Amino acid sequence: MMPTAVERKALSEALGHLNENMRTMSELAVLAIRKAAQSLDKGHRRDSEEVFTLDQEIYGLKQKVEQSCIELIALYAPVASDLRTITASLEITTDLDRIGRYSRDIAEAAEKLRGMSRESLGKIGNLTRMADMTIQMIETSVNAFTQRQADPVRDIVRTDDAIDALHDEVFQELVEKMTDQSVSPRVGAQYILINRYFERLADHAVNIGLDVIYMITAQRPAKVKRQNGDARPPPTPAPPPPAPSSA
Amino acid sequence: MKLDRDGRRRIFNWVVSGLCFLCVVVALVPLGSLLYTAFLNGSHILSISFLISPENPVGICVPGNCSAGGIGPAIYATIVVVGIAALISIPVGVLSGIYLSEYGRGRLGRVISFFTDVMTGTPSIVVGLFAFAVFVYIDRAHAFSALDGSVALAIIMVPTVTRTTEEGLRLVPNSLREGAYALGIPRYRAVLQIVLSTGRSIIITGAVLAVMRASGEVAPLLVTTLFSPQGFTGLGSPAGLLGPVIFFYATGASPLLVRAAWGASLLLILAMLGISLAARIALRNRFK
Amino acid sequence: MQAAVPLGHNDENHDGAPFKMVVENLSAFYGTKKAVSGVSLGFRERTVTAIIGPSGCGKSTLIRCLNRMHEVVPGGHIDGQVLLDGADIYTQDPVSVRRRIGMVFQKPNPFPTMSVYDNVAAGLRLNGVRKRSLLDAAVTKGLKQAALWDEVKDNPYGPGIRLSGGQQQRLCIARALAIEPEVILMDEPCSALDPIATAKIEDLIFDLQKTYTVVIVTHNMQQAARVAEYTAFMYLGELIEYDRTKKIFEQPAQKLTENYITGRFG
Repeated sequence: MMPTAVERKALSEALGHLNENMRTMSELAVLAIRKAAQSLDKGHRRDSEEVFTLDQEIYGLKQKVEQSCIELIALYAPVASDLRTITASLEITTDLDRIGRYSRDIAEAAEKLRGMSRESLGKIGNLTRMADMTIQMIETSVNAFTQRQADPVRDIVRTDDAIDALHDEVFQELVEKMTDQSVSPRVGAQYILINRYFERLADHAVNIGLDVIYMITAQRPAKVKRQNGDARPPPTPAPPPPAPSSA
Repeated sequence: MKLDRDGRRRIFNWVVSGLCFLCVVVALVPLGSLLYTAFLNGSHILSISFLISPENPVGICVPGNCSAGGIGPAIYATIVVVGIAALISIPVGVLSGIYLSEYGRGRLGRVISFFTDVMTGTPSIVVGLFAFAVFVYIDRAHAFSALDGSVALAIIMVPTVTRTTEEGLRLVPNSLREGAYALGIPRYRAVLQIVLSTGRSIIITGAVLAVMRASGEVAPLLVTTLFSPQGFTGLGSPAGLLGPVIFFYATGASPLLVRAAWGASLLLILAMLGISLAARIALRNRFK
Repeated sequence: MQAAVPLGHNDENHDGAPFKMVVENLSAFYGTKKAVSGVSLGFRERTVTAIIGPSGCGKSTLIRCLNRMHEVVPGGHIDGQVLLDGADIYTQDPVSVRRRIGMVFQKPNPFPTMSVYDNVAAGLRLNGVRKRSLLDAAVTKGLKQAALWDEVKDNPYGPGIRLSGGQQQRLCIARALAIEPEVILMDEPCSALDPIATAKIEDLIFDLQKTYTVVIVTHNMQQAARVAEYTAFMYLGELIEYDRTKKIFEQPAQKLTENYITGRFG
């Protein structure tokens, strides 16, 4: 049977709840990464603790969202845009959870660094840049998701390549600075971890962006990760065909 | 006594049911009374010889014996004349019914349908006179004849058969016709072999009804077959069928004749009942 | 509402089987009332194509045009062409067309005065086949293909109407198959049946497509997904979209299609 009016109404309501939860989760994830960066920058314990709390909340929401997605599929056999929204949400919820997780990891590292010498951070300027770029990527992806817009994330893979390049630079810089003793190994080790976390965060932002493109256009552009030594960025996916036209 | 809505409804139900039952009883009373009277008056004259005896119709007194004879000849004449009428009218009626139901949705069909209804309502005496007039025109010498009677009865029977055939076929669901067409069966075959056989019970009932009605006719026969004490004396000669026999004997002088009339009436009634029952039983098996 | 450009026999990207039947700009009328309007699409050989759409969209009328049953209704006529193996069926004798294109209806319609055997043999018998051995072979084959053989083999001379609804429908399918058509049309064959009977018939359709070209009208999207490789969506007499079922399921090209299959229609 095509969905009856009653089923449609129930499904629409349930989708509404799902979207609300996703929106909340998105906001929390963005807040988490911001707080984590802040904690790293200013070194307040309060910020780190907020991040820990946020991560817990995000995890709780993830479980809720997973459960309701499965229920929706089982009960309503959704099709077309409904189906894509639900499957994309399932994937994105995982990415948002990882964002929360890495934010927590960054906050933990910040705590460890609190006791140590801080001024060295300023010498690793690129790390700050990485943080800023990553946060921006996350925000762009998340906004694209909540606004249901594919355009802002169309080039997201390219942005990720920039971050990957930056990650390599920072890594090199840290290794040098630890070798020439301008940064202590303890501090350097934490920074290497933090560098890695930001790179992973950026990957998750890319995933979210690609899921948004799928949700809206049903296209799945290839997520080509840059191979070792290959300086060329992968080809940007062709712009998807126009979205379903209105009657 | 508390008469709530439910209680009132129940009482009302009973009252109406009772009234309906009463009406049925009232309707059946004449039939019952008829059977009773006929039985009372005619049963003791019914005997094998009465029914079969081919000669000496009642009323002719053989010296020394005034009670011999029977209505055998009349029965035979009725069977022959009505039989011929059926042979004419049933095919005509069934084919007309098929036409009206399957092919005649247009103007012509509606016209035929209208006149069929008119003919159903035509008084049978008028039909008889018409048949007589036609025979006078064609073959004056044989104007009063068994054949004439057959023709008259056939004209009376056709509208009934047509009507019931048409109704019966209309009752066949269209989905069956479509199923047949979808198999690539030509239309005439679909009609003749599928539609007709599905509606056959109603058609047979219609034919039986027509025959029964014809068997009991009196007025049209009086002006076509006239009368003959010998029953059936040839197609071109007058004949004495059961209906007219009852008429003449009932108004006859001798009480023997009157009693014979009662016997013939009872026979006729029992024959009608018998045929109806037989048809019903035969067709019931078909349904299952 | 914008005009649709359905992917159909004009679309070269679909490298499926060749087209068994092609509908060219077909319009169907009941008297002056237009029920189907300028429909063009193709049905591929040995595949199942589903036609979906809301009530009154013309899908039943369309399918009845495919075996010239539409003209049986008083006032029914068409414009356009329906090609079977390249030849327009409207220039041929309708009776022989219907022997090549069989049909199964929404409500099972076995002939009530006939036994199971006679029902299945009816198509052959009433087309002149008399030889007992031929009839036996065809009836057996038809019943087996319709997955009814096991249930009636002990008593094939029992009355056809004594079977259950699902069995009756399979009987009608067997009857249609016995005359060995090339195309089988099904007008909502399962809508009068319970879910188990429906499942049996869907299994049957899945098997039938190995031998026959099947076109099925359904108002059940899941059913279309289960049995049909291609789906056509109709609305108000027009063909809105025609594509592989999977594509329509996941990403319909037309907003109207999307609204229908997600239930957003009024």
